[in-house]
Amino acid sequence: MTPRFGSLPIILFLSACATAFFANEAFADEAGLRSFVSANCNGCHNEKVSSAGINFSAYSDTKTFSDNRAIWERVLAKVKAGEMPPPGMPKPPAADIAAVSSWLESEFARQDAAVKPDAGRVAARRLNRAEYNNTVRDLLGVNIHPADDFPADQAAFGFDDISDALNMSSVLLEKYADAAELSVRTAIFGAPKLKPSMTHYPLPVRLNDARGTKTQIPDAAHYDLTGLSTLHAAHAIHDFPVDATYSFRLVLNGHRPNQSMPAQVGFWIDGKLIQEIDVDATDLEGQVREVRTKVTAGEHLLSASYIKQFHGLPPSYKGPEPSTRPPEPLINPRGALTQKDIETLRRLGTTIKTDGIESRIDNRFESIDVGGPFDQTTGPSPESIRRIFTCGRTAAQQNAACAKQIVTSFAERAFRRPLEAKEADPYVSLYALARKQGDSFEEGIAAALEGVMVSPNFLYRIERDRPVTTKSDAVPVTDYEMASRLSYFIWSSMPDAELLRLAGEHRLRQPAVLEAQVRRMLKDEKARAIVENFAGEWLQFRNIDVVRPDGQRFPDFDESLRYSMKRETELFVENIVRQDGSVLDFLDADYSFLDERLARFYGVQGVTGPEFRKVDMSGTERGGGILAQASILTISSYATRTSPVLRGKWILENLLNAPPPPPPPSVPALDDTKVGQSASLRQQMEAHRQSAVCASCHSKMDPLGFGLENLNAIGAWRDVDGKFPVDSSGMLPGGRTFNGPKELKALLMKDRDAFVAGLTEKLMIYALGRGLERYDKPALQSIEANTAAHDYRFSQLVIGVVESLPFEMKRVREAAPLSAVASNKLEGSK
Amino acid sequence: MNFITGRHLSRRALLRGSGAAIALPFLDAMHPAFAGPVKPVRRLAVIYVPNGIIMNQWTPAEIGAGFEFTRILKPLEPFRGDITVISGLQNKSADKAQGGGHAKASGSFLSSAQPKYTAGADVHAGTTFDQVAAKQWASETRVSSLQLGCEDSRMVGNCDTGSSCAYTNTLSWKNPDTPLAVDVNPRSVFERLFGNVDPSLSPAVRARRALYRKSMLDLTQESTRKLEQDLGAADRRKMDEYLTSVREVEQRMAAAEKDTRVAPVDKPSGIPFQFSEYVKLMFDLQAIAFQSDLSRVSTMMIGREGSVRTYPEIDVPDPHHPLTHHRGHPDFIEKVTKINCFHVELFAHFVAKLKATQDGDGTLLDHSAILYGGALSDGNAHSNSNLPLLLAGRDGGRHLHCEKPTPVANLFVTLLNGAGVNLETFGDSTGSLDLRA
Repeated sequence: MTPRFGSLPIILFLSACATAFFANEAFADEAGLRSFVSANCNGCHNEKVSSAGINFSAYSDTKTFSDNRAIWERVLAKVKAGEMPPPGMPKPPAADIAAVSSWLESEFARQDAAVKPDAGRVAARRLNRAEYNNTVRDLLGVNIHPADDFPADQAAFGFDDISDALNMSSVLLEKYADAAELSVRTAIFGAPKLKPSMTHYPLPVRLNDARGTKTQIPDAAHYDLTGLSTLHAAHAIHDFPVDATYSFRLVLNGHRPNQSMPAQVGFWIDGKLIQEIDVDATDLEGQVREVRTKVTAGEHLLSASYIKQFHGLPPSYKGPEPSTRPPEPLINPRGALTQKDIETLRRLGTTIKTDGIESRIDNRFESIDVGGPFDQTTGPSPESIRRIFTCGRTAAQQNAACAKQIVTSFAERAFRRPLEAKEADPYVSLYALARKQGDSFEEGIAAALEGVMVSPNFLYRIERDRPVTTKSDAVPVTDYEMASRLSYFIWSSMPDAELLRLAGEHRLRQPAVLEAQVRRMLKDEKARAIVENFAGEWLQFRNIDVVRPDGQRFPDFDESLRYSMKRETELFVENIVRQDGSVLDFLDADYSFLDERLARFYGVQGVTGPEFRKVDMSGTERGGGILAQASILTISSYATRTSPVLRGKWILENLLNAPPPPPPPSVPALDDTKVGQSASLRQQMEAHRQSAVCASCHSKMDPLGFGLENLNAIGAWRDVDGKFPVDSSGMLPGGRTFNGPKELKALLMKDRDAFVAGLTEKLMIYALGRGLERYDKPALQSIEANTAAHDYRFSQLVIGVVESLPFEMKRVREAAPLSAVASNKLEGSK
Repeated sequence: MNFITGRHLSRRALLRGSGAAIALPFLDAMHPAFAGPVKPVRRLAVIYVPNGIIMNQWTPAEIGAGFEFTRILKPLEPFRGDITVISGLQNKSADKAQGGGHAKASGSFLSSAQPKYTAGADVHAGTTFDQVAAKQWASETRVSSLQLGCEDSRMVGNCDTGSSCAYTNTLSWKNPDTPLAVDVNPRSVFERLFGNVDPSLSPAVRARRALYRKSMLDLTQESTRKLEQDLGAADRRKMDEYLTSVREVEQRMAAAEKDTRVAPVDKPSGIPFQFSEYVKLMFDLQAIAFQSDLSRVSTMMIGREGSVRTYPEIDVPDPHHPLTHHRGHPDFIEKVTKINCFHVELFAHFVAKLKATQDGDGTLLDHSAILYGGALSDGNAHSNSNLPLLLAGRDGGRHLHCEKPTPVANLFVTLLNGAGVNLETFGDSTGSLDLRA
C-alpha cells in the first residue's frame, strides 16, 4: 500500500499553534495516549467489535508505533478532524484531542527523522503495452501498435508500469516473439498483405419522428451546419490495420419532406470532410452511398452527417434557403396511389417505397460498413530502411561484415546501451544460420533483429549491479540507465539519439544538462505519452473508452461525443505538460479545449467546426478544470445516472490524496440507486450519514459529489433532475460550506497542498515503477516544496522527480537469498 | 508458431451443421488409457456470471429428479438429462477474508483460499481447481487452459473498495501469486489455439522461421544465464520467470511440430458488436478447443464482479451491479432476473453445441463437466452461501440439495476426482460431494 502522509487535507482546522496552546501534559506520552484511546475509542474498536477492522487492544506493546504507523496516522487524522469519535458519541475535551494529536505528530516526526535515506530498488521492468508499442515505433520506424492485443498488463498502485506487477508468462512471451516478427518484417519488407474484410457498425436509432409531428426548424445561425453534432449524424471509431485505401458504405434511413432539395451527405474522418454527396430522395431507407479513400493505420473517428440539414426544405417549413423546386401536384395521401402518383413520387426521389406524402425530417444513418484494405501500400518505408540498414543495402554491401555492423548497431539501440564484447555474436549467428539455410541477406537480418527483440535486454529495462567500491548504501544508476529512466518516464519509449549521446559523453547528469533535457523532452510530441499513460491512469479517463452510457436516457452520447470528450481532456493535460502550465489548472482553470460538438453540448457559443481550440470558460456556469470536463464526469457516473458517492470518492482519491477506506465488513455499501429518482434521496443519504460508522466516510464523500450534481451522468449541465431542482450545496466536515461546482472548486483550490502532494506521489510511483515507502518521504516533500516555489509549473514537478534520490540512485545490491531464487524456479511448472 | 490455419478447409467446419466427424482418430487414440466402466470426464469448464442471482427464481422447489425448471433455468429444460442443479454449497473463505464483497467472492471462488486484502502488486490467493486439472493434462494438450472473458479488463484503479483488480479480473490462479490474464478478444483466443501464422506461407518457409525462432530462444537462454550473475535477487526472479516462459514456449513449439491439426473455422476478426454474438463466439471457441482436444480446461467470465454492463437488448438499460443492490425493490429484482435469464439463455447455446458434437463414443457434453454459476448468491447482501451452481454433463436430471451448508470445495474435489486427479482434499473441503446421491 502507498503510505499516506500528513493528515486528511480538507478538514485540517487545528493549527500548530493552537495545538501548543491546548497542550495537556496528561496525554503527552504513550501511556497518556493509551488512556485516551481506552476512554474514547475502545467502545467500538475492541476485540469483539473491531469497527473498520481496528482493535486497539491489539496495540498495547511498546512497538505499537513503529509497527502500526498507518493505523495511528489514521487515528490522528480522524481525531484531529473531529470525525472520531463519531457524531452521537461523547466528545473528548478539545484539550485532550490537542494533546494527543500533538504527541502523535511529534512521535511521527521523531520516527521520520530516524529513517535513513534510502534510494530504494526496483527490479527489472518489463516493457508494458504502451512502452512496447512506442519503443517499436522509435526503434524500427513502424507505427503498427503490435502490443494492442497483448493481454492487459496488471496494474498496481493505480499504474500499469509497476515492476512487481509486470509478470511474464509463456503466452505473453509468444506474443512478444510474434510481435517482434511482425515489426521487423514490416520494417524490412513492408506490412504483410491483408485480405480485405468488412466491418459492420450498426447504429442505434436516436431519432424517429412520428408521422405528422412538426419539426422545429432552427434558423441558419442557430444550428450546426456540419450536422456532426446532431442526432441525424452517425459515428464509429474504427481501427485500421494498415495504410491503404478503404471503402465506406453509408446506409441511409429516415425521410425528407417531398419537394426538398437533395440531402447533402457528408463523410468525415477525424472531423475532416472527405466527401460530400447529394442524395435526392424522400424516403432514404436502405439507400447506400459509397466513399473510397486512403486512410493511415490506427484508430480513426468516422462520421456521416447531413450537411445543412434544415436548408432546402419546402418553403412552408420556413427554413433557411428554402427549396426552389416547383410545388408538386397534389397526390392523394389516402387510398391506393394512382400510376401518376407513383410516377410523381419517383420523380421526387422516393425510390423504394411509394406510400404517400412525406413530411418528416428524420433522415439518419442505418449503418456504416468499412471494407478493406485495398491497394495496400507495399514495401518498407524509407525511414525504416534508414534506421536498420546502417551500412547500405546494395548487392555489393550485402556481406557478412555489413550484417555484423547492422546487427550490432541495432542491438545497441534496442538494449539502450553500448554492447559488451561479443554480446552481438549470438544475433549475428542467427544471420549466418539463415544464410546457410539459403535465405537472403534481408531474411538473415530479419532473423537476427527478431532475436534481439526477444532478448530480456530488450524486453526488460535491466539495471545491472556492478562491483561497488564505495561504502555508501546507494549508487547512482549509470548514465545510460538514467537516459532510459528519463525517456520511459516522459515518453514511454526508448531514449533518442541525443539522450544516448549525452549519456555516452557522461554529461547527462550535469544539472543544467539534465534540466534542459527534461524541458526538451516535455516539449516534444512524444511527451503525449505522459498524458495518455500517466494522466490517463491517474485521472482514470482512459476508462472513457469503455463506458457505455444508456442510449435511451442519453441519446446525445455517441462515438463522436466520446471522442470529443476524450480529446478535450487529452488536450487540456497535454497543454499543461507541453506548454508548462500550472498543475493547479487541474483543479480550476478558466479555459478548456472544445470543438463544435462539445461546445454545443456544453452550451458554449461561438465555436464552429470540428477543430479543437482553446476556449475561455470563465463566463460559463460549469467553468474550467478537470471537474468541468465531461470525460471525468462520465467515468465517475453510472450508465444511467450520476452517483454523488462515486464522484466524491473520485475527488478524494485523485484530487485530495485521501482515498476513503473500504466500508467495514458488517456494513453494506451505501445504496444510491435512487439518486435523482426521488426528492427524498438527498435526505435518504443524509439519514444514512446519521449512522456513525457510515458518516465517517460519507460525510466527506457525499457533499463533494453533490457539489457536481448540476452536471449529469454524461457531463451536461442541468438545473433540474427529473422533477426536482438540483441542490448542489454542501457542507464538509469541519463546517466549510459551498454551493455549486464553482464554489466547490474554490474550496479545493484552498487544499492545493494536498492536491500537489497527491500528484507528486502518483507521478513518483509512475516514474519509479514501484510503490512508495516511508524513506521516500523526504524526497516527496522537497519536490512538493520546490513545485510550490516555482508557480506550480509542471516542468518543476518533473524536474523535482528526476533529480530526486530514488530516481537518480539505487540501493546497493542486497545479498541474494539463494533459496528464494531456487523456490521460484520450482513454481514455473507448466 | 508452426500451426496451419486451414482457411481452405473452413467449409469442412466441424461445428457448422453435421460435419462433426473429422479428425477424431487422435482423440480415439487416447481412449485406451481411460478405458473402464466409468469413462472419466476429459473437459472441465467454469462459466461465471457476476453480481449474484435472484435465488427464488433460480432454485427449483423440488429436490431430486423430476424437478420443475424455474424461470431462470428454463432455457436449460431441453437438456434436463444433462443438468444437475446443486444448492446448499457455500464459500466460507470469502466471508472470512477482508476486502470488497465482490473481490473476495470471485477472488476465492475456485480456490476456497482467502485473497489477501491489497490493491498493490502483492496479490495473493490460492491455486484454483481448474489449474489443478490443467496441470494434469498440460503435456497432452496444446494449450493447458483457456481464460476467457466477455468484459474488457482495461479498467484501471481500485476495483472493489481497496481490493486489487486481479481478484475480479480473472477466476484462474496458476499458483497463489499468479493470476492468469483473461483474454477478451476472440481473435487472440483463436491465435492461442491455432497459432498466428500467415497461411499463405509455404511449409518450407514456415519450417525455416520456426527453426530461427527455436535458435533465438536457445541463444537467449544462454545469454540470460550469463546476465543473471550481475543481478540482485529481485531481478533474478524476473529473469527466472522469463526463462521459465522461454522453456514453455519451446515445449509448445516441439509439440506443435508433431501436430498437424488445422483450424476448423475462420479466424474471428475481433469482438462482435452485439453482446449475445460475442458471448456465443466465445462459447464456440471453447467448443472448438474441446472438440479438437487443443485444450481441456477453460474458465469464462460472462462478466466481472461489479459489472456495470447495461442490457438494453432485453429492456434493461440500467447498469447491472447497482441494480443488484435492489433492497427488495420489485422493479429492480425483475430487471436482475431478466439479466439472469438472459445469461442462462446464452449458456444454453453452449450446452446445445456440446451436445450436438460427436466425441468418440458419445457427445462432447458426455465427456465434459461444465460448471455454471457465480460466487455470490444474493448480490444485495454479497452472500457467499447457498451459491447458485449447476453442472452440465453426463448423468444429470436432478436437483441436488445439501441440507447442511457444505463447502463448495467438496464439489471441486468431486470434479477433480471425476477428471482423474487423485486428491482427497482441496481448499477447505470436508470431503467430496456425491453427485448421484
